[in-house]
Amino acid sequence: MALLLPACASLESAKAPDANIKGLKSFYVAQEAGDDHAIDKLIAGRLTGLGYSASCGEAPQPASRVDAIITYQDRWMWDITMYMIKLDVQLHDGESGAVIARAQSMRPSLQRKSPEAMVQEVLGEILK
Amino acid sequence: MKIAINNKPVLAALFLAALLVGGCASGSKPDAMVAQIVAPVHKVDGDVSIAVSGGKETSKMGASQISNDAFAQALRDSIQKAGLFSSVAADGARYRLTAFIGKVDQPTFGFSFTVKMEVSYALKDTKSGSTVWTKDINSEHTATAGQAFAGVERLRLANEGAARENIRQALTELGALTL
Repeated sequence: MALLLPACASLESAKAPDANIKGLKSFYVAQEAGDDHAIDKLIAGRLTGLGYSASCGEAPQPASRVDAIITYQDRWMWDITMYMIKLDVQLHDGESGAVIARAQSMRPSLQRKSPEAMVQEVLGEILK
Repeated sequence: MKIAINNKPVLAALFLAALLVGGCASGSKPDAMVAQIVAPVHKVDGDVSIAVSGGKETSKMGASQISNDAFAQALRDSIQKAGLFSSVAADGARYRLTAFIGKVDQPTFGFSFTVKMEVSYALKDTKSGSTVWTKDINSEHTATAGQAFAGVERLRLANEGAARENIRQALTELGALTL
């Protein structure tokens, strides 16, 4: 069965038709329910490091208007130690809430990276 | 010549292989994704153009996927069939309907394949430049081994069913709009 399971790392993304990703300046990262790895803070921190205005929180909506809202799903596995196997990120239009872009990084055990590195590669992909 | 296989593990492995492989994958077909709506519609006075992204092409050795072109064709045919807009234009229409295939969750094995799909739709009035409707629509469809024994075929049927249901829900919402 191990031979049948995919063992390659992958990074993929897609954008909605007409989505203007380059024009986004401010973001709010909505914390995923049950996230005990503080991935929302990693995403907001990385965005701030890239020069964007970013905040995060437990509320699904920000207190003040932003250009885009980010949602995510992190999936973890055990192999000697816990590691993040998959990170899905969705970018929603700040006004309508519609999904305008998504990106996904998949890293099985042998190609594992730190959560910080996976956040970095997914944001690099979705914002390019 | 009669060949008998009495080895149960071998039989099980062959059965599993048939479930998993069962031939080359083919992409979802537009005809099979065309939706029909039964609710009465408010016909929009104006033509519409359609753009789709987020879909994937199918590789022969990979899983069956839904391509942008196939989904756009199904959406176009469904709109024409329902008579929602005066016509569907290639470009430069009064309205622009975009569909972003955000997620397609597919199983890797099993007797019944359930595909879950999420598509974000937006309808823009190109005259005013405003977005008049947006909706994230989730749908799913299960294809059973009775419908198709080969896994690749079963996955295609599940994809097509999820897409058809998604388009049906989108058209039902669009049909209730008064623009």
